[in-house]
Amino acid sequence: MSTLNRRTLLKAAGCSLAVASSSLPRIAFASPATDKRFVVIVLRGGMDGLAAIPAYGDPAFETARAGIATPPPGHEGGALPLDSMFGLHPALTEFATLYTEKSFVPIQAACVAYHGRSHFEAQNVLENGSAVPYFLKTGWLNRSLSVLPGSNGDVGIAIAQTMPVIMRGDATVTSWYPSTLPQPNTDTIGRIAAMYAADAKLDAALQRARAAHEMATDTDPGSQFASLMTAAGGFLAKSQGPRVAMIESTGWDTHANQAATHGALDRNMRELNRGAAALHGALGDAWNQTAILVMTEFGRTVAMNGTQGTDHGTGGAAFLFGGAVAGGRVLADWPGLRPNNLYEGRDLRPTTDLRAVMKGVLAAHLGIPDAHLERVVFPDSADVKPIRDLVNT
Amino acid sequence: MITQDAVVAANRFGFGASPDEMTTIAKDPHAWVTKQIVAEKKLPDPLAALPSTMDDQLAFFVWLRDYRKQLESPDAAMTGTVEKSYAKALYPRYLTAVKARFDTAVSTPTPVFERLVHFWSNHFVVSGAKPVAIALPPSFERDAIRPYVTGKFSDMLLAVAKHPAMLVYLDNTRSIGPHSDRAKNPPKRAKTFAANPPPTGLNENLAREILELHTVGVDGGYDQADVTSFANVITGWQVIGPRQLIRFAARWAGIGNDLFYFNDAAHEPGAHVVMGKTYPAGGVEQGEAVLHDLARHPATATFIATKLARHFISDEPPEAAVTRLAHVFHDTDGDLGAVTRALVDSPEAWADPHAKLKQPEEYLISAVRSLGGPPLQGRQLMASLHEMGQRPYMSPGPDGWSDLQDYWLSPDGVWKRIEWAQLAGRALAGTIPQPDAYAQDIFGATLSASTRTAIGRAESPAQGVALLLTSPEFMRR
Repeated sequence: MSTLNRRTLLKAAGCSLAVASSSLPRIAFASPATDKRFVVIVLRGGMDGLAAIPAYGDPAFETARAGIATPPPGHEGGALPLDSMFGLHPALTEFATLYTEKSFVPIQAACVAYHGRSHFEAQNVLENGSAVPYFLKTGWLNRSLSVLPGSNGDVGIAIAQTMPVIMRGDATVTSWYPSTLPQPNTDTIGRIAAMYAADAKLDAALQRARAAHEMATDTDPGSQFASLMTAAGGFLAKSQGPRVAMIESTGWDTHANQAATHGALDRNMRELNRGAAALHGALGDAWNQTAILVMTEFGRTVAMNGTQGTDHGTGGAAFLFGGAVAGGRVLADWPGLRPNNLYEGRDLRPTTDLRAVMKGVLAAHLGIPDAHLERVVFPDSADVKPIRDLVNT
Repeated sequence: MITQDAVVAANRFGFGASPDEMTTIAKDPHAWVTKQIVAEKKLPDPLAALPSTMDDQLAFFVWLRDYRKQLESPDAAMTGTVEKSYAKALYPRYLTAVKARFDTAVSTPTPVFERLVHFWSNHFVVSGAKPVAIALPPSFERDAIRPYVTGKFSDMLLAVAKHPAMLVYLDNTRSIGPHSDRAKNPPKRAKTFAANPPPTGLNENLAREILELHTVGVDGGYDQADVTSFANVITGWQVIGPRQLIRFAARWAGIGNDLFYFNDAAHEPGAHVVMGKTYPAGGVEQGEAVLHDLARHPATATFIATKLARHFISDEPPEAAVTRLAHVFHDTDGDLGAVTRALVDSPEAWADPHAKLKQPEEYLISAVRSLGGPPLQGRQLMASLHEMGQRPYMSPGPDGWSDLQDYWLSPDGVWKRIEWAQLAGRALAGTIPQPDAYAQDIFGATLSASTRTAIGRAESPAQGVALLLTSPEFMRR
């Protein structure tokens, strides 16, 4: 008996190449009904919105954020300027450029419809698209695919090892993640597929995986966030490829030492910035058809906590960028940072329901009718009006 | 004859079984499970060989001391120039522990007990994904989880909340009572990190997660005021500091694993109200009293019953089974042995042999247990687990790994298992020349015609083993 060593890995890889030309039918994504691309990036852990988009123009900002306030533009480590009120975290240089090119809308004081402070409930609501945690088992992005005009829904991909809630549901989506293992033998895959005929879940998962692997150009680009963004861009750039992609980034839960120059927050911002540039590059000509929504489950406390970090909060930041985005302005109904402005005395008060942004993009960019948005994609959301002028139409 | 009950006993409650073991289990599947629900007399060898909690803790502190000048904060361990030294100093320790956990599960004569350890270790999870906690989860699992999985829930809860791993992971070591002596007179020591002065206030992370994830659950009836109040109660729950540990290592050697330290100077004075009950001013006993009450809270009984039933019965656990387990939990004051026996006695648990999808680590353990290989060296094991999205002791957050099929049964998840099974098939072809007969031996009455046919028609033993490992029967339990 041999162990699984490097040599077997390489030998196996050679084997599967030898049979790659076998006669199995080629599986591709359904003929995409739209040229528009939509990417959703979920930042897990609760990005500190006031670190991402510091409101340095608010006279209360420096006091409210004592100890962790980003200095105004022009100072050492200062914010990148957006307008007289808002700036960007100094690491977000790519986003600053996109802003001047009018391809980026920074969104501030936004939140899901749930205002508890549990990561898990808030992420669930962010992804399931209702106002109540665990109210729906499927995700809004999947449901939006199921009502995408002119499509059978088969145009979604999650760049993830496990299926995130936002992409779960009836629409046929696939998932893909880099692998260092050799590709399976095509003949074996066919036999496994036959074995799954009576197991609908396994069968569907295998078929979707095959579709993604037919299309992947590099099976092991590495799992850095920027590499995943490049891979996503590669899928979306294909004319017969997926149109909607979802990517995750973790580690945003900065309870301690978040102002540190090379701390977790700083690192995450840099990765996000690199990732945005990588996606931009990989999309090529498809960039002009693309809108990308970056969102997180909640913002964090306005004031620094006892350990130089911030605790779970409410109102937070989101980013909408891409060649199809009508940007160059900040979207914020600014609630202020004086003590009496704060939500429950501690958090940035949310003034924009994130669903208004999601609905606006789905309506104007992907052409999903309001009736579907209100009933299927975001049930019981008729009172949350879509913000429609976020993309070029 | 290998009955459905034997297959359920071996796979749902255990980690899969070889043909020989299946024959043993088939004699009385139910008894085979229940006789394992007893406290452990001796630690399995791979675990006994692991370092003490103090040694693990010291390893991190020694590394931190050596690289302090290059660090902005302990949380920055995984960035920039120090990342390599961090990996070099601590990763081998992590790798050894993952292998010990795997080897224990593969070789144990009491896999049911081991499954309970994995379940509870995931309930009270400490994740090494947070740099400061990387060395701690294995000793946490051994010292705060393992001794209690068939004992009292309240004992486990107390052991967990006082273990350095949990106190460090969820930031309580740095939580300071706002009106404590420590807050009024912060220590005047030299700054050790540029952006990391000594903490002077509350950090509510541990308090919130104990309520939300460990005891009553998010719908357990608490609010933000309860979280803050409970956080105040457990201020001062700390760990013997690195300075003392490093300077007096020899002297402290005798303390073994108990590094809990109640720092009265950091404790928020006064009485506090948590979930409607007033806890009078006091020291460590104030927090202990809250934990005892949380362990007894009816919402905790339901929360734990639901989680156990979801793990062992189905993603949507039957209401009747949950209610039954919750009653036993309540009536026995959280006797986990009794609750587990009630679970095994539940007819719902034996009804559908394929109700649950195996998680990746469980999948690999069951492959090696059932097929006798392939032998996985440390780095191969890590690579396999990493590809499938489940590095042990590295769950993404304090809620642990998901127990839902919809999470694990992704296209990529299935694809990675197929890739792995193909390699394993090649490695095992020599020892399993007749995979179809082998499948019959381990799955007996539950083996479907389509799987039997597919394996029987395989072009080689290697492909046959790959098909066995990717069959619905093997993916599920």
